[in-house]
Amino acid sequence: MIKVDASLCLGCLSCSNVCPSQNITRSEVSGKRSIHWKRCKEECDLCVEFCPAKALKLVAFDENVPEPDLSFDLVACRICKSRYATEPMLRRIESTLPLSMQKDATGLEWIRICPVCRRDIEAQRATQQMVQGRTSKSLKK
Amino acid sequence: MPVYIDISRCIGCRSCEVACQRVHGGRGHVNVHFVGDTASVPIFCHHCEEANCTVVCFTGALHKEGERTAFDVEKCTGCGLCRLACPFGVVWTDKIAHKCDLCDGRESGPTCVTTCPANALSTDFDLAASRARARAAKIAVLGGRK
Repeated sequence: MIKVDASLCLGCLSCSNVCPSQNITRSEVSGKRSIHWKRCKEECDLCVEFCPAKALKLVAFDENVPEPDLSFDLVACRICKSRYATEPMLRRIESTLPLSMQKDATGLEWIRICPVCRRDIEAQRATQQMVQGRTSKSLKK
Repeated sequence: MPVYIDISRCIGCRSCEVACQRVHGGRGHVNVHFVGDTASVPIFCHHCEEANCTVVCFTGALHKEGERTAFDVEKCTGCGLCRLACPFGVVWTDKIAHKCDLCDGRESGPTCVTTCPANALSTDFDLAASRARARAAKIAVLGGRK
């Protein structure tokens, strides 16, 4: 049976992805991600091995222990407000990446911006650079 | 960045997107973004020297192979940390991560480059560098447009 340490779980769904018997189910409804670990009797520890946060461990089977359930409010992008990640995942990124990598020119913290908006920002930056290089015809003699 | 873009040449036809999807079984890694009427910009993996995605990947699925930021599908758990760590938003995870692999194994090189009808994409560093220098020189001499 799987025991979950709620204070460590990132809500990343690794365990659910690697489980060969679909014993870890997930759902995402209106900005909320829920994960449910079924009572599991398999002799398998893939979920434990592949948890990035080491939040899972195997314990002896016990019918009286309730099945673990966790839910995470997905964080909204600072620009487009789409819900794109769990708070613990973003914290994990912030604590793993060197601070020099977290700086940005936009003044917004890029980690708090969703991947789609990050691509938009990059496109705008490249465009500004390109437009500068377009010399207007009136300047040419 | 082993594929270089000259966006002043990009005509926004999205051929690179289609070619990428064709080579990668329907899941493409190029997105053409339109900036008003001014420009269209294909956005894809920069293959960063110090790649954030490889720093946060805890299984070593994402790793550097020379210039390339390579991906080992066997090691991926689909946790999605790479997607959130990429400053350019060019790593995707749908159950499993996927990103630009520079068309690894294709003899003629990246398909976006061979497909681009406008010659906006290239793998030639010297060409990209000389275009950038020419642009900078033009701005210096003639003044840039704001």
